[in-house]
Formats: sequence, C-alpha cells, structure tokens
Amino acid sequence: MKTLELRHVNKMFGSLQVLNDINIKVDKGSFAAIVGPSGCGKSTALRMFAGLEAPTSGEVLADGIPVKDPSPDRMLIFQEHALLPWSTVEDNVGLGLEFANVPKKERQERINTVLEKVNLSGFNHYYPSQLSGGMRQRVAIARALVMDPDVLLLDEPYGALDAMTRLTMQNELLRLWSGSGKTMLLITHDIDEALYLADTVYVMSPRPGQVTAEFHLDLPRPRNRNSERFAEYRQEIMQLLGLTE
Amino acid sequence: MKSTLLKAWGRVWPYFAVAAFLLILLQIGHWLKPIVIPSVGASISRLVDDLNNSAFWRQVGLSMYRLGIGYPIACVLGGFFGVLAGLYPAFAKFLRRFIAFMQSIPPIVWLPFLLVVLGFGNTPIIVVVTIASFFPMALTVLNGAEGVNKTHLEAARVLGANKPQLLRKVYLPETFPAFITGAQVSFGNAWRSLVAAEMMGGVAVGLGFAVKFAGEIADMSGVVMYILVIGIIASVLDQVVLEQLKRRLLHWRYVNQGEGK
Repeated sequence: MKTLELRHVNKMFGSLQVLNDINIKVDKGSFAAIVGPSGCGKSTALRMFAGLEAPTSGEVLADGIPVKDPSPDRMLIFQEHALLPWSTVEDNVGLGLEFANVPKKERQERINTVLEKVNLSGFNHYYPSQLSGGMRQRVAIARALVMDPDVLLLDEPYGALDAMTRLTMQNELLRLWSGSGKTMLLITHDIDEALYLADTVYVMSPRPGQVTAEFHLDLPRPRNRNSERFAEYRQEIMQLLGLTE
Repeated sequence: MKSTLLKAWGRVWPYFAVAAFLLILLQIGHWLKPIVIPSVGASISRLVDDLNNSAFWRQVGLSMYRLGIGYPIACVLGGFFGVLAGLYPAFAKFLRRFIAFMQSIPPIVWLPFLLVVLGFGNTPIIVVVTIASFFPMALTVLNGAEGVNKTHLEAARVLGANKPQLLRKVYLPETFPAFITGAQVSFGNAWRSLVAAEMMGGVAVGLGFAVKFAGEIADMSGVVMYILVIGIIASVLDQVVLEQLKRRLLHWRYVNQGEGK
C-alpha cells in the first residue's frame, strides 16, 4: 500500500502555469480529497499520480519512488467512465486482466467477484450503452478494483450523475474502501462529497493552482452530513473558495 | 402474424414507392414519345426475356468480376493507409493533401491514360474502380482513426496495455466503424466509375458497354432495361448486402437503449 506525494511540483502547459509549487501528501491507506473550482489544476495533479502527466519541475512520488508511467497499481477512474462501447461489461472489466495475460478461467472468476461487489452481478453481457450513468461508473470502478491496485485515483467520478445517485455511489465507495487498506485520492468540486468521504481535504485555488489549505478532518465515521462540525468545515471551505457572501 | 407483416411493410414500402414512381415516369415518357421511349410493359418483358439469356448474364458477370477485384483492393489499401495516417500525423497531413488533389480528378479521366499503359481489357477498368474507391475509403478511415477517443487510450494505458495491445484492443476496434461506413461510401463511387469506364470503350462486355451498345443500335427497351438493372444491382448491394453487414458487425451500436435501468 502506498503513500502518494507531490513535492514542489510546478506544471506549465506552454506558457500557462497550471500548478505552482504544489505540495500534497496522502498517507498510506487513507482517503484524501482535493476540492477546488474548475481550472485550478486538481485534475492535472491527479493525472500526475496516474503517470499520464509529468511535472515541469518537482517530484511525483509513490512510496518514495518517482512515478514515470501509468500502472495498474495506481488505477484512475475517469470522469466520463471511459468504457469501451464495443465491449460488454464483462470484457470491459476484464480488460486489464487480459493485458496482464491472466488465464481465462481466473479472469472470469475475478470479474464475477468484483461485479458482485459493485452490485452488477448478471450484467456481464450488457453493453455500456444499455446502462444508466451510475451503472457505467460502477463498471469503471469494477474495472479498477479487479486489478487490486494499491491506489485508487478518482477524477470527479460522480460529476455527471444526478444528486441522488451520487449519494448512493458515495456510500458504495466507502463500503468498497473500508478495510481494504487502499490509498484513495478523490478530485471533486463538491465540498460535501469531500467532507463525507475523505480524512484529509486539500483546498486548491485556480490559475496558477495552489494549495490554499489543508484540513485533517476530525469527524467520526460514519459521517453525519448534518452535524455541526460538518457544517463548520463546509462553511470554512466555502469561505476559502470565495463562495460565501 | 399481422403485426410482423405490418412492421416489415413499414420498412419496405419506400422501396416500392420509389420503384412505382420511376415506372410511372417511364410510362408517362412512353405516352409522350411512344416510338422512342418504351412502355413499362415492354421494358419489363425485355428484362424477363433477358434473364433467360446467357448473353445478359455475361454482361452482368463481367461487371461484377471487375467490381469484385477493384473494390475490395481499394478497401484494403484505403483502410491500411487510413490507419497508418491516424498513427503518424505527418503522414496524415500528406495523405489529406494527396486525397484532396486526386479526388478533384474524376476517376474515368484516368481511362485513356490507362488504356495506353495497360492495353485494352479488364485491367484498366479494374484500376479505375480501385482509384475511384480508394480515396473516399482512405479519407473516411483517416478521419475515424484521428477521432479515436484519447480517454479510451489513456484508460487502457493505466490498465497496463503495451503498444501492440493498445492497437489491437482500442485503436483498431474504435476505427473499425469507419471501415464499414467508408466501404459503403466508396461502393457508390466504385460502381459509378465502373459503369462509366465500361461505357467509354476498351471493352466489349459489361453493363456499361451494354447500355452504350443498345443506344447505338436504337434498342431503346434494352437501354431502359439496362438502366433499371444497373440501378437495382447497386441498390441491392449497397442497401441490402453492405447495410446488413454493417448491422451485423456493428451490432453493439444497434442494441436497444435503456434496457438495463
């Protein structure tokens, strides 16, 4: 299980500075969230951990080792499920296993196990176009979990879903995470989501992206969205983001 | 039983309507110029006669033979270069310019040149068919290849795919629909250029030749009949054969929506 760290990371896209001296540390096995408005660079930071972007300067580390390339150890869940539309649920979930040359029988077992975990047993032969948005994201999560990664990186995974489905999915995510020891990093612009799911919340401000605050949440689990402390945190973060009048 | 018949009729009536409309036009033409334009009856009975005539089938056979060589070659080459261009942007730039220029030249314009270089016979016609269908195929596949969703590629990379796996499991399947639609578009070009090339000379058999010859000997019911035959063969090949192939190969696009909710 891994620690994730960005150390003095700067990122330029051409002449645009997207990230400015970012320092983020996610402890092994903990759940961290980055909250910020659109364009603050939080997705870029996440993609660096995934190995899909490299910093212009600074270090991206997983367990102290520099991150160079994408790896199934650090699975990324995309905002738009990114399922292959021409493959069935089963083939999509098993894709990483196929790449790793896992034999068919073992693949099948692992696929069925993980589909049960995300409440999609029996949907093996459906195509993504036949599923609802929430179900597609579940398939994406299944595809990630079946690889048994040390780290799960989530890029606004519930952004495209309706409010109620979002709440259900958040509970499901907690259920899947707790006890697994996996390190979780979630990107969201939903403050409540961050407070509900994470142990540590980083607040980022836009261009150039900077971390403006770090909250180590002192809230019990299971979280109560309506507790006073929860509301206090929400208020503080909203103020930091300039969302209060 | 009744509802399946109704559903079938719902899909098929436009074809009958088109056929009826054209035949009505023909008949009106016959009434206006009876000596020159044959009646629907005469054309149909000529067609029925010819269906039993081996000379007719030889015409059809030769045309299909030339199509059957030129068109698939163009599809394979067009698909190959389209995918190559998708993978190598510099080549894509070149290929686009090349296609833009070559497509401005009507394919049969090449025939006089080819007749001198290759002589008479089937080969120049086949080459014209290939030229006509290569460019739209390459362009369609190129556009499809460039349109491959980058997020799909990223998802596969995160899942641990190496380059050959990326190609086989993401890039090619995602480009595949462009192969099919490209093949449908280029079929039209192939067929039109085939018939035109056969009319221009250099061969003495084939549907295009037959139309021209019938016109030259004032065999008007033959002319009309061959027009019908040329249209019907193309329609069947395109709207039945290719369309069914597309639906079968791309069946994941046609599954009912929203079954899983």
